[in-house]
Amino acid sequence: MIETATSTPVVIGVRGLNVFYGEKQALKNISAEIHEKKVTTLIGPSGCGKSTFLRTLNRMNDRIEGIRIEGDIQIAGEDPYAKGADLLALRRRVGMVFQKPNPFPMTIYENVAMGPKMHYGLRGKQLDEVVEEALREAALWDEVKDDFRKKNGLNLSGGQQQRLCIARMLAVRPEIILMDEPCSALDPISTAKVEELIGQLSGAHTLLVVTHNLQQAERISDYTAFFMFGELVEHGHSKAIFTDPVHRSTQDYVSGRFG
Amino acid sequence: MEALIYASGGVVIVTILAVVYYLTHESKYAYERKFDYGYRVALQPVSGQYEKDLSLDPYATLVTANKEGLDGLDEKEETVPMPTLEELSGGATFGTGTPLSGDLAKVDPSKLYRDDWRAQKPANVGQRFLVFGFATPEYKSDKMAIAWAPDASFNSELAPFDLHLRLVRAPSSVTVQPIDIDLKRQPEGRMELPSYVATSDEARTEGYVFALEATPTSSTAAAVSGGIFRSEWDPTGSYPKFGFVPLLMGTFLITLLAILFASPFAIATAVYLSESAPSRVREWVKPVIELLASVPTVVLGYFGLMLVAPFLQNTLAKAVGMDSGRALLTTSLIMAVLLIPTITSVAEDALRAVPQSMRDGGEALGLTLKERLRKIVLPAAKGGLTAAILLGMARAIGETMIVWILGGGAPLLPTFHGVKDTVGNLMKPVTAAPDTVAREMGNVDFQGVHYGHLFLLGLTLFVLTLVINIVGYRLGRRNAWQS
Repeated sequence: MIETATSTPVVIGVRGLNVFYGEKQALKNISAEIHEKKVTTLIGPSGCGKSTFLRTLNRMNDRIEGIRIEGDIQIAGEDPYAKGADLLALRRRVGMVFQKPNPFPMTIYENVAMGPKMHYGLRGKQLDEVVEEALREAALWDEVKDDFRKKNGLNLSGGQQQRLCIARMLAVRPEIILMDEPCSALDPISTAKVEELIGQLSGAHTLLVVTHNLQQAERISDYTAFFMFGELVEHGHSKAIFTDPVHRSTQDYVSGRFG
Repeated sequence: MEALIYASGGVVIVTILAVVYYLTHESKYAYERKFDYGYRVALQPVSGQYEKDLSLDPYATLVTANKEGLDGLDEKEETVPMPTLEELSGGATFGTGTPLSGDLAKVDPSKLYRDDWRAQKPANVGQRFLVFGFATPEYKSDKMAIAWAPDASFNSELAPFDLHLRLVRAPSSVTVQPIDIDLKRQPEGRMELPSYVATSDEARTEGYVFALEATPTSSTAAAVSGGIFRSEWDPTGSYPKFGFVPLLMGTFLITLLAILFASPFAIATAVYLSESAPSRVREWVKPVIELLASVPTVVLGYFGLMLVAPFLQNTLAKAVGMDSGRALLTTSLIMAVLLIPTITSVAEDALRAVPQSMRDGGEALGLTLKERLRKIVLPAAKGGLTAAILLGMARAIGETMIVWILGGGAPLLPTFHGVKDTVGNLMKPVTAAPDTVAREMGNVDFQGVHYGHLFLLGLTLFVLTLVINIVGYRLGRRNAWQS
């Protein structure tokens, strides 16, 4: 059962999505519509398929041996799994932030510059501007402006690393941002900063955020999707999901009875 | 269980300490080295047939120091009395002799002994050796010459002493400038003197007296330490040379080439296994590669000797001139075969240790597999990959059997005169430090000088591989993402 809101256009449409890891079915007949420039959080117990769903959207599961993906996915009107689909364009359109901060073993500048250099061929001053802008957007600029050309990204603190990864992702100018538990490896202060960032980004980007933190989901999201055992149980306005869920299992999960 | 762990740890540590102690202790015999010298001195006519090559002059006196093994015959010859002028007449134009008494004022004619070029005259460092000379009445010129030259293969540069040839007494009837020749500066030469012709047997004792003198300039230990940096290894020559340079050069060349041959293959294989091989392939290939590392090196060596060496010789002989299949190229190739599994295995571990999240980050940014490798995975695994290569190096440095079988056993000091000459080095035989120790240890005098030097060489190798292993271990542990 899917509740939809019509406040903004749908940017991601999924119909009848099944994902198998070998014999095991990880996602069962998922259908969902994600609204543009809103924050949607994906919640659910561990192993429920929410990360699989997220990674399937931008084809991050392709390298997994024995994976099989069925169903229809439309991202801004294009099927990322279509024959001859432009993978590079998909990466440009859909950015991703991971659970564990994963800066590359190079300077902060090089980390952020890598995307725009590759996707837009930017060089020199233009590139510098894009890097600075991305670092500002990720609220990292003030902390690193003195040595971001020399300092290795790996020498930052955990929270700074995560914001660096966000800056790296933003530098490519994605429309859609996928975040897979972006705060689960961070301390509360860093988490607050990232949450604030999510709020700022939502005006211009569509965000899908996987989280285990229900308060966080309630705080940051416009919509919430609840997954369990590979099924999308309930999907709708966050307020509705957290205060007046339709399903019993959703009720049990959001009230902390399991999970 | 705990006791067993402590016991085995203890055994390892004790073994390492014992090896270090033993190597150090036995290498002290290298420092008991005595440096030999051998010099020829002769009185000659101003122009004569032995002017060019003193070693052919039967009347040249050969003075040697510290040479053991002078046989009984030599001693007897040495005590042959100087012939009288009558006996010499018609034959020799010059007489040289060895006055056994050091008193120069009165040389007793009956105490003069004839020199024979075959007889070595022993003289120790610090002692003065006298040569006595005159011309017989047959000699008509008013000039004669004193000539000097080092014995074959003796190089005074290597000896820790000064060698001087001095005129200590001239006949009263001639006027001559003082002569003092520094044999280190002028190892070979000839100098004209006014003739002194002995007209009677009594007058012989008036002849020229030259002294050959060796005075120590540095300690034996310093000389031995300096000697191992020389570029010649000739432990059994009459003036033995224990320069480690050609042996370590062989080790260096073989290691360098083997690493150059092996690393691209090994790292490419490691990249394939860790980045793109299906897990089924990886599960099979990795153990098989690690199994390769356990092939006994003697097997690899003979495989190279029976198959690779003849093949290389047949194909390359005409193109670049390869006299024997046992050469630097063959040795390095087979060494590379030995290294590939070691490097592959360690490199693969290093690549797999790069967190998956970094690869994911690259993929999400739109980097292809190749770009992820070049920009992220390889730089991240740099430490581990360097460690893999260093461990390979340590393995190559210590490898004995392959070099012994395939090297050809001759020291190689490479030359670089143009491209052809540089490439030609590959076709020359080579010997390295470990195979030299193995080959020569069986034939040395127990606790002799050569024996000591082999232990010193072993100690050098041990320290070298230890350092490389430690550096490799530290690099391997230090991963960029863990800093």
